[in-house]
Amino acid sequence: MSRVETEVLIIGGGIGGAAIARELSRYTADATLVEKGADVGQGITKYSSTIMCQGANVLEFRSEYHNSRLVWAGMPLMEPLCRELDVPFKRIGSLELVENQAGMRHPEKMMRRFKDWHGKYLPSDIEPLQFIDRDTLRAWEPNVDKKYIGAVYDPNIAVNDPVRLTIALVDNAKKNGINVLLETEVLDIKAGTDGFEVWTNNGSIACRYIINAAGEYVGKIAQMVDADDFAMYPVKSYQAVLDKKVGGLINRMVLATGSGMVSPTIHGNLFFGISPGSQRLGKAHDHSTDKKLADTALRHAQELVPAVSAADIINSFVGFIVFRNFEIGWHECTVGVSRWVPRFINASIGFPGICAAPGVAKEMIDILTRQGLRLAENPRFDPYEKAMPDFSDLSDEEKKELIARDPRYGHVVCRCETVTEGEIVEAIRRGARTLDGVKFRCRPGMGRCQGGFCGPRVTRILARELGISEEEVTKKGGESRNLLYKGKELLEAHQ
Amino acid sequence: MKLHDVDVAVIGAGPAGMAAAIRAREAGAEKVVLMERAEELGGLLHQCVHNGFGLLYFNEDLTGPEYGHRFIEKALDTGVTPLLETMVVRLGEDRQIGAVNTKEGFITFRPKSIVLAMGCRERSRGALNIPGTRPAGVLTAGTAQRYVNVEGFVPGKKVVILGSGDIGMIMARRLTLEGARVEAVVEILPYIGGLIRNEVQCLHDFDIPLFLNHTVTQIHGEERVEAVTVAQVNGNRQPVAGTQRTIACDTLLLSVGLIPENELSIMAGVRLDPVTGGARVDETRQTNIPGVFAGGNVLHVHDLVDNVSWESEMAGESAARFALEGKQKESGKIVVRAGRNIRYVVPQTISGRRDTTLYMRVNEPEETVRIKVGDIMTKGVRAVKPSEMLKIELSAEKLGKLREGTKEITVDCEKRGGK
Ligand SMILES: Cc1cc2nc3c(=O)[nH]c(=O)nc-3n(C[C@H](O)[C@H](O)[C@H](O)COP(=O)(O)OP(=O)(O)OC[C@H]3O[C@@H](n4cnc5c(N)ncnc54)[C@H](O)[C@@H]3O)c2cc1C
Repeated sequence: MSRVETEVLIIGGGIGGAAIARELSRYTADATLVEKGADVGQGITKYSSTIMCQGANVLEFRSEYHNSRLVWAGMPLMEPLCRELDVPFKRIGSLELVENQAGMRHPEKMMRRFKDWHGKYLPSDIEPLQFIDRDTLRAWEPNVDKKYIGAVYDPNIAVNDPVRLTIALVDNAKKNGINVLLETEVLDIKAGTDGFEVWTNNGSIACRYIINAAGEYVGKIAQMVDADDFAMYPVKSYQAVLDKKVGGLINRMVLATGSGMVSPTIHGNLFFGISPGSQRLGKAHDHSTDKKLADTALRHAQELVPAVSAADIINSFVGFIVFRNFEIGWHECTVGVSRWVPRFINASIGFPGICAAPGVAKEMIDILTRQGLRLAENPRFDPYEKAMPDFSDLSDEEKKELIARDPRYGHVVCRCETVTEGEIVEAIRRGARTLDGVKFRCRPGMGRCQGGFCGPRVTRILARELGISEEEVTKKGGESRNLLYKGKELLEAHQ
Repeated sequence: MKLHDVDVAVIGAGPAGMAAAIRAREAGAEKVVLMERAEELGGLLHQCVHNGFGLLYFNEDLTGPEYGHRFIEKALDTGVTPLLETMVVRLGEDRQIGAVNTKEGFITFRPKSIVLAMGCRERSRGALNIPGTRPAGVLTAGTAQRYVNVEGFVPGKKVVILGSGDIGMIMARRLTLEGARVEAVVEILPYIGGLIRNEVQCLHDFDIPLFLNHTVTQIHGEERVEAVTVAQVNGNRQPVAGTQRTIACDTLLLSVGLIPENELSIMAGVRLDPVTGGARVDETRQTNIPGVFAGGNVLHVHDLVDNVSWESEMAGESAARFALEGKQKESGKIVVRAGRNIRYVVPQTISGRRDTTLYMRVNEPEETVRIKVGDIMTKGVRAVKPSEMLKIELSAEKLGKLREGTKEITVDCEKRGGK
């Protein structure tokens, strides 16, 4: 058991905690980030729809909501952030479909309000909305259902890989001096007169400021110091990923109010989910998918793009969006100092929290400063990260060069996503400790066979690189081992 | 390795690829390369340590590795050139192959002809969309087979198996022999997905309970599987309320079907049959792309390796001929259609001029039927099942009875006797 002293403690290594840690690393802050999981980005962040730069839909995003203001602040920041950290980012645009003449009132109002607010509440450097008619819609998206008569086109919408962004933010924060502790779960907190004493499974931490960015668990953490001046409503949402072979069905995200959405992903798959308006209150932390939710989501998706088929689903999962107020729904979040506990700052970034994260991080610096934290610029701050090689994305010449330099790049381990041993070893060098850790860094097991082929091979490489036995390799830390026994071990136990 | 003068390139060195490469050499192709991503020839045969291989082809009951070994020896004896630890990552419409390995890096070459023999992969949990949590301990049966037989690990000690495919049933027995307890084999259909002999030898002989008309409706457990919920299904394969029960287990194996692995074929512009998931071929096993042939599980999923070998020999021979003659003689094309209770027929087109074997599967089990090929032949069969492939031999002579200009023939599975 160790004891750590730190000025600022960030609880939670999701996109929220990661963005805040990285922002703090611009300053000579003495800060520590703790994450209970074996890796960062494996909470709500992992389950997101990966849709970036939302906020132009001004019927949903409104100036009275703190959440909207954070999302707007993040809009122009996301692309430069991804560039600095060498994380993939692609502008795809979105189409909010209109079904009939009566439905036209909605886009008309949206476009009018957008004009009023553009440059006032919304950053002036974002692209204006456009209405496109039926013919343009057909030409752009021939696979969208023919019943739609037009769409609001939002050219700002983009996709990225939020888990990779989280990993890169944390790597960068670490490089710039932030202390990061994985597999460290906050179990209890006591507030003293000028600081907090925090107990974890890994020893205790003394700190002056706490940033509670625990995602689904913000309520639980806040309760530890009676700072829960908010209630949390976990809302269950469902997503499904489709095979890359149907990745070209649509080019832009398409959605319709009150139903679902279908979008390309940054990696060339397609995916669909239920829009936040039509989701259900779930049992907290129950991440199981259920058939009803799955069927509804599929039906909604097929309404938009009839060719979406259950046969092409390669993976599906459930995520929680935490609502602060069930009536306001996803529109509001909780980012600010507790009303009752000074220097205890809640950062429950809501939906769409990844869009909001860069804005949240900037605002957090103001909040901390106002709470008395003194920050001087970090003279050695280096904003850049370099992504690891992505073999499947290289030209033939680059492939040759890479293999000549390191022959392990000539050994393809995951056939669906063409991932090489070289990439897997590099992912482990960069901190992957589990099968999921490798998977989210370089994608073995993300393809259509979902690790059936590469699972045993990645397990072997992990064991070799980490110097452990194959049975000790886990899917996601803790007790999530895939292999429980050695050959013949059970037989010996019987004797 | 010099690859500018390759006659036939075979992609994949499982039973299909080995048989194709050997026959291509025997048929006179000078340089035949057998490309394989693993360290050795043999493909999945290495992990199939059970017996039942070669009953038809060798008239002997061999294990998978034994069956494989005979072909490996023969491949080397006949002068096939293995290209191991080499993954083909690209296939152009002009037969240009792009591959990577650790020694030569990125290689490209254009053989005179190609045999596709990439085999198949298992359907995964994602494809089934089984509700529940996402813990460790959910594996496909084939992956578990590799862990147990090749890597030397046992995934868990209380196992439920979803699906009654052959690998699932074989793993039920294998895990039992390893000291694990198989709590149930659960099959959504009213009949098993694999061979009868496996039901008898792997389940009944080991007292492993089989639940037909049942499925897994929920997976439980956060980090590792803790239990699954199983329910009976109705005629529409929907769970029947009130029949759910939870079985404690630490492992769920999936044996719910195989899918031909045709990503390279699609890249090359090969036209696929939506029913088989493999290429549409003529009786020489040529696809719509001249000089590109296919055989084995990449073409349609077989239940017996013996048929894989035979079919692939045909593909290998055709590929050799194409390489030697530069092209294939255009042969009139008769489309073979799947009629009553026939799910598919391979080949999908025939010339009608050579002896031809039709491979087919039925949709539903039926008894006392006859298979009728157009009006040129019928064959009585006592019982048919979707899990057991049917083979109908058509001699050139029989085919000669087809009227000149016939464009298609239909294969039907008809009831015999009292209507
Ligand atoms: C289905 C779905 C779709 C979404 N789509 C989008 C979208 O398209 N675009 C968008 O911008 N947003 C989207 N969102 C919202 C977005 O995903 C979230 O707002 C964001 O990921 C929240 O990040 P976070 O850091 O607050 O939480 P998390 O990612 O959950 O991070 C919290 C971390 O805290 C850790 N933790 C918890 N308790 C403790 C403890 N006691 N000690 C130590 N560590 C602890 C957790 O392990 C976790 O890693 C979506 C959300 C869902 C559910």
